[in-house]
Amino acid sequence: MDPKVAALLAAGFCMGVGSIGPGIAIGNLVGKAVEGIARQPEAGSQINTAMFIGIAFAEAISLYALVVAFLLIFVA
Amino acid sequence: MVVLEHFYQKVIIPIKIGSFDISITNLTLSMFAGVGIFLILLIIFAANPKKVPGKKQVVVELLINFVRKGICFNMIGPKEFDKWVPFVAGVFIFVLANNMIGLVPGTYTPTSNPIVPLTLALIVFFTVHITNLAKNGWRYLKTYAPSSVPKWMLVIVVPIELISAIAKPFSLFIRLMANMLAGHTILYVILGLIIYFKTYFIAIAAVPFALVMMILEIFVSAVQAYVFAILTALYIGEAVNPKH
Repeated sequence: MDPKVAALLAAGFCMGVGSIGPGIAIGNLVGKAVEGIARQPEAGSQINTAMFIGIAFAEAISLYALVVAFLLIFVA
Repeated sequence: MVVLEHFYQKVIIPIKIGSFDISITNLTLSMFAGVGIFLILLIIFAANPKKVPGKKQVVVELLINFVRKGICFNMIGPKEFDKWVPFVAGVFIFVLANNMIGLVPGTYTPTSNPIVPLTLALIVFFTVHITNLAKNGWRYLKTYAPSSVPKWMLVIVVPIELISAIAKPFSLFIRLMANMLAGHTILYVILGLIIYFKTYFIAIAAVPFALVMMILEIFVSAVQAYVFAILTALYIGEAVNPKH
């Protein structure tokens, strides 16, 4: 296989596999946050803040995959 | 006109001092434009404040109150939060202005270039660690070797703590850059389908989808500025309220 082709294939796989974990994580996070707000609406603002921080941390993992994919496409 | 206009840096006024290249590029111009628009709007809206705020003053008060109560008070704690409002608000408004100016056609998104978020993340990193050192003195070093851990475990714990300290600004930098880059890449890929297939019928599907992505981009650029500011406040809060 041509190295360039292998790199492009790897970039696709990297992004696809790398987004599974964050997808599950963000789904869980938002689901639980909505549950919490439904149970106790007056704590909504605090739950929102914590949820956004959690989403930011979970999302960062898929963005590392994105950066690696970009490196594979443009550098390798 | 180039398709990927917002990805290429163009030198507009070349300036060189010694071996340093400080040319005015379209990145610089976009950054000045974004920050300038925000500054002028804020100055106009906040001019001659009254006790009972008018329509314009409410906007500024909403923004400042959001940073003060929503970010600083929650994250830094009731004792010291007032001192940190200018820094956090400055970071928040700078990132917000730079994210938003990238959505205007023809401009370059300053935060999608690695250098700008890296500089911001390093500013936050040094602010946090110098604050921690000035406030806690020698106890600052103890955060890397907690006394509650058994002695022989320190071999593992100290490297982990050091790595996590370096990973914080790194993730701050990657998160902001990759988010801004990803949005534009998606727009480029969707609209690039029209050129790739060489028919205008694709545009019937591609343009509305690109519009939806653009609206999502506005949301993302606001959320990323919020996340950047709230993580800055979180790290500062960890520095000024040390764990015992």
